[in-house]
Amino acid sequence: MAAKKEAAQAAPKQIREYDAETMQKIQTLAAALLQEIEKGENLHIDIPVRGASNVTFNEKTKKIELGDKFARRYLFNVAHARRFMQTLLVASYVKKDLLENNLTATLRDLYYAKKHTIPGTKEDTIDEQKESDLAIVDFEVALDTFRERLHLRAEPKGRIAGEMVVTDRVKDKVDTIDLSKMGSGGWAVPSIVEQVEFKDVDAEYVLVAEKNAIFDRLNEDAYWAKQKCLLMTTGGQAARGARRLLKRLSSELNLPIYCLTDADPYGWYIYSTMKYGSMALAHESDRLGSKDMKFLGMSISDIEHYDLRSVTIKAKDVDIKRAEEMKAYDWFKAPAWQREIDKFLDKKIKAEIQSLSSKNLQYISTTYLPEKIKSQDFLP
Amino acid sequence: MAEKDAKATTPATAEAAQKAAATEAQSHDYKEYSVAEFFKKNRQMLGYSGKVRSLTTIVHEYVTNSLDAAEEGGILPDINVEIENLADGHVRVVVEDNGIGIPKQFVGNALGKLLSGTKFHHRKQKRGQQGIGASYATLFSQITTGKPTKVKTSLGDYKIYECDITIDVKTNEPAVKNEREYSGKYRGLKIDAEFSEVTYNRSEYGVYEYLRRTAIANPHVQITLIEPNKEIVVFPRASKEIPKKAKETLPHPLGISTSDLMDIAQLSKARKISSMLQADFTRVSADKVKDLGALCPGIDLERSPKNLTWPEAEAIVKAFGQVKWIAPDMDSLILIGEKQIEMSLKNILQPEQMKVVCRKPRVFRGGIPFAVEAAIAYGGKSGSWVSTDEHGNPVETKGELLRFANRVPMLFDAGTCATTIAAKDVDWARYNLKGWENLPVSIFINFVSVYVPYTGAGKLSISAEEEIVEEIRNALMECGRDIAKYLNALDRAKDQEHRRSIFFRYIGEVAECINDLTGTDKVLLITKLKKTAEEKTAILLASGEEEAEGLEEVGTVEDEDNGKAEE
Repeated sequence: MAAKKEAAQAAPKQIREYDAETMQKIQTLAAALLQEIEKGENLHIDIPVRGASNVTFNEKTKKIELGDKFARRYLFNVAHARRFMQTLLVASYVKKDLLENNLTATLRDLYYAKKHTIPGTKEDTIDEQKESDLAIVDFEVALDTFRERLHLRAEPKGRIAGEMVVTDRVKDKVDTIDLSKMGSGGWAVPSIVEQVEFKDVDAEYVLVAEKNAIFDRLNEDAYWAKQKCLLMTTGGQAARGARRLLKRLSSELNLPIYCLTDADPYGWYIYSTMKYGSMALAHESDRLGSKDMKFLGMSISDIEHYDLRSVTIKAKDVDIKRAEEMKAYDWFKAPAWQREIDKFLDKKIKAEIQSLSSKNLQYISTTYLPEKIKSQDFLP
Repeated sequence: MAEKDAKATTPATAEAAQKAAATEAQSHDYKEYSVAEFFKKNRQMLGYSGKVRSLTTIVHEYVTNSLDAAEEGGILPDINVEIENLADGHVRVVVEDNGIGIPKQFVGNALGKLLSGTKFHHRKQKRGQQGIGASYATLFSQITTGKPTKVKTSLGDYKIYECDITIDVKTNEPAVKNEREYSGKYRGLKIDAEFSEVTYNRSEYGVYEYLRRTAIANPHVQITLIEPNKEIVVFPRASKEIPKKAKETLPHPLGISTSDLMDIAQLSKARKISSMLQADFTRVSADKVKDLGALCPGIDLERSPKNLTWPEAEAIVKAFGQVKWIAPDMDSLILIGEKQIEMSLKNILQPEQMKVVCRKPRVFRGGIPFAVEAAIAYGGKSGSWVSTDEHGNPVETKGELLRFANRVPMLFDAGTCATTIAAKDVDWARYNLKGWENLPVSIFINFVSVYVPYTGAGKLSISAEEEIVEEIRNALMECGRDIAKYLNALDRAKDQEHRRSIFFRYIGEVAECINDLTGTDKVLLITKLKKTAEEKTAILLASGEEEAEGLEEVGTVEDEDNGKAEE
């Protein structure tokens, strides 16, 4: 246990270094603005453009990457002024309220902290949280950093269980957590996982399911104990904390990660987000993308192979549309995926993972998963 | 003077007055046609229809005479008009000018005999329907109130003459009573008459509007109006330049109305109608008289012009329109002029922006010269005021079309007028004046020609000949282009004002944040930021350039961080 203690002490130092670095970046930005004020120039912040026009898929690194296009946001520009002001509100909150006090806050905390009526007007600094959320991302990319370094966290989401001991810390308090003793619910993945240390690990792979229900099913079946794996759920689209944790499990512990989603375009897209990153957070693909993740299921081929035709659902128009879009994404260009999407577009059916229960309740843990893993029947 | 209504023209001279007197002497030689009785029954022909319009017509007759009298003497006209509502429901109209006055011996005929031709001034330069006009007002007063018209006049020779005039309807002879003569310093003419069946108001058909427009088209005139509520309205003189007189030419047949012809017939020295046509008109040859004779088979052109009847005159005027004439002279066109119009609009409308265009003369109907003067005034007191605040400033304004023919305002019959049709024809959206009818806009159009092709006897609407409409349209578009520049600049300025307000709105917040980040004094930051904001807006205003905006793409591809489970 002595070793654990040492490790625990090393971490905060590192975090403090990160904070210093972030602080430095903010000061540099502020100094540039101050200089513009002195010179009577239009204040500006350069913000890398996010979105399809500035996002590319890097075949080699298997990552969705942000291009080098940036937009210059000015204070004295009618179209920019308000967002410029909001970006500075974020900057001030991060520096003064969070970094200087060593506190973390949610996006909503920030929203309420900085929302107020501008004196002498009937206008609020921020109307909806969406505005401050966008300003936060602007600020992140402008500083070339990420949200956790700004001490901001999203709502935590995702649970994990398995033969692994980790340490986590709340400010200066360090807790040791045995993920094999977390009962029926598993350990809730925090929104920020930088401070989490992996200790004793006895697992051969990570199985990440999109759905909470599958986690609960497999946990009840003691799947992770029998199969020597870490079992995780993202509860739908994976939150940053969950994605970052997967990335760390993959890169730090070299564990293969297998992903389990519904057999439909939305499920597949959740997978791709965990693996390659997303367009909206392309600047963080490096930190959040687990490029070696494999898609275990379910695929349209699985529906055929496991004879699940009778329990499929008819695809909706939105599913078809989504599939057509995805077919065009560079990161779905692998022939195997193109075939899957074509099959989907052809048959226009989808299936939930739970459809396996039509065989019997434990079919997934006794037959489907072991078979797929044994035969390495994955999609890239 | 009314080079405007250049229609009727006789060899102008002092002779005219003598001639008038001569006519007078001869008037018993022919059978009385009882023109007074005729018009007593047909007063709408002279503009006496409707209570508001009748009053406007009365003032119009007096004021045009006043303008003529002043211009005749090379005098800058000062015209006072007073309208008073009397207790018995009558309306008293007093019009006084500083013109050359009327010699005592002509007063009766000038104001008490219809078609007397007693225009003791040069007849060619009259504006209105003087042959009948002021005298008919006397008759109208008499038949609606039974009262005489009171006159005071002096030639400026320290002899002042006053009298009361009525008309003997049966004989169309003036009855002058209550004559007084005394010494004093005075020059001009003062008419004081009472009417019934008339109403004063400030509508677009009323006296106020008529005088306002008269002032606009006659920048050398000063008009004072005392309204029934004792409010005094002054339309001040904008220019001391007296308009130059029209070249003295005989009237062209195309420029003649029935009453003009009657008038000329009374004054003519010719012994036959046929010779009168040749002697008293330009471009009428013996051949043309033959043509006219063929067109009017029922009229004996070898008779004396003195007993020409009204229906005959009407038929001849109609025939004038069917004969092909050599066009009148170009240089008979007398424009108000760009500078004068500008001064006038500035004076009366005080617009934020205006554009005046005087187009080169053109011809219509294959040879009749005309010219169009147009202007658009925007803002200030432009447009007609629908409502005003307690200080008399416009709250709600409507666009107005100010129509003139040879400087005479046309208040009625707008619908069929070439000016209205041309104005409707312009694509105002191109000039940022879409819906000008509801903007503070005055559109001024003066149609200048020796022959104004009026659509009706009322002389209040110009026939929509293709060439005329086209020319008016072009003039309006020329004005429009200039106004559009101003309006666009105005829009930009509004934009800039909007910008400035946005910049200023966020300065406090931004300063606060930068103070949080750097510790720099907030007040100092605000001062500097405000200065920069001012400069930025000023530069944009000066250059009129659009700022490149909306460069930024705001990418929100998907909401993976919204913390909501998709299950």
